[in-house]
Amino acid sequence: MLQISLKYIPFQSDVAFLQIKQTEVTSIKGYLLFFYIHVCSSIFCLIAGFTQFNAIFLSKFPKIHRNIGKLYVFVVLFLAAPSGFFIGIYANGGFYSKIAFVLLSILWFWFTLYAFLAIKKRNPVAHKKFMYRSFALAFSAITLRFWKVILVYLFQFHPIDLYQIIAWLGWIPNLILIEMYIFKKFQQ
Amino acid sequence: MKKLLLSICILFTIACKKDKTSISEVKNEKKEVQIDANLNLYGNWVGDFVATEHDTTDSFVRVNKINLIIKKIENNRVFAKSIVAGNSRTISGTMNENDGEFQFILNEPGDDKYDGAFDFKIIGDTLSGTWKSFDKKLHVTGRSFKLVKQKIEYNPKLMLPAEGDYVDYFSQKIDSTSYEYDGKTEYEYAETYRMASDIITKINASTTKLEEIDLKNLKKLELEIIRNTIFARHGFSFKKKSFRQFFDPVAWYVPVSNDVSAALTSTEKSNIALLKRFEKYAEDNYDSFGR
Repeated sequence: MLQISLKYIPFQSDVAFLQIKQTEVTSIKGYLLFFYIHVCSSIFCLIAGFTQFNAIFLSKFPKIHRNIGKLYVFVVLFLAAPSGFFIGIYANGGFYSKIAFVLLSILWFWFTLYAFLAIKKRNPVAHKKFMYRSFALAFSAITLRFWKVILVYLFQFHPIDLYQIIAWLGWIPNLILIEMYIFKKFQQ
Repeated sequence: MKKLLLSICILFTIACKKDKTSISEVKNEKKEVQIDANLNLYGNWVGDFVATEHDTTDSFVRVNKINLIIKKIENNRVFAKSIVAGNSRTISGTMNENDGEFQFILNEPGDDKYDGAFDFKIIGDTLSGTWKSFDKKLHVTGRSFKLVKQKIEYNPKLMLPAEGDYVDYFSQKIDSTSYEYDGKTEYEYAETYRMASDIITKINASTTKLEEIDLKNLKKLELEIIRNTIFARHGFSFKKKSFRQFFDPVAWYVPVSNDVSAALTSTEKSNIALLKRFEKYAEDNYDSFGR
């Protein structure tokens, strides 16, 4: 993932994914800015996965947990999710993939905000549940690309047909799995 | 003194003029002679160049398209050019007429590995004969051909024919799977090839200015074919057999030149740049972890 992000540094307007996005880059004001906010900020969200869901880490270093958590919430709410919403509006693949990415960004924002408000009200159960959901969506960055490799290997899809599929396949199964996990964990 | 100088000047100019007229008269005469004798032999003779003598390896292409251009015949001396698979050679030799049959023996210069000698005759509207390589160690040492004359005209509207499969037979990928049978390991092989959809017969990159949205759903092979169809319309002679396989069988395609860049229109130039960008993106990203 870090490699994928680093492809865009130093900032250029015509590398990698942007090679097929020149229409947006040249005609839509702010596209490049939001794109770069998204690329640079989202990578930090994934780091949270290493520390935040570890019970031992939480009991040993509660302060670090809180600080990394605050950073995650800040990055998602102010940088990654809003920029995701913006570039989602101009996503490749027309209506079906646009709606997928826009919906993804709204849910991500909502789950993260709710989890933050829950812990402010000292409700750790709701905090946990919604952080699981939030991170399941953050993790779609990985699963989306993973599905792509698998589907291309199995079927020789056309790129945009494939893109419309992974736009949904990247996060819906994540959400279903995490709901099943939450259901099992908090049932007792 | 002045008068003398002036008269010398006038004399000189008259002399010059006379010279010029006599040269142009000679030229005219020459042209008329050529037109009468061999005009119907001149032009682009196009057809299949079929391997007839070859080794047992499979490392050659059996059929290529050849364009044999007869440019000038002067006192039985023939000046011509052969264009095959991106290899353009000047050839020269002799012609003899015998009872309405024109017999040609022409040689390529000999400084290229693949040079050889042509031996053919023109009867009516057909040119047929054989080619033998100078170097007998090549994979293919003999080819035969039967050509007809074809007019060449740039037409931006020409498209690859809608019927036909566009499979890249030079992109074979073999996947093997192993399984246990009777205690032995057996292997099964599956071949896959790159394939282009019929979109390549619909998008014309010579007449329409393409936008990103037109190309986003295309695979690399399709982008490559659409881009190379531009070059094919201008008569580009493809070196790569992976492109010849798509254009050689097309009736309108005649290889004429190794470099057509000067003939490209501005629409074509901008489309080529766009297509190349998408090809690069497809190459780097289509099947890798990323977008």
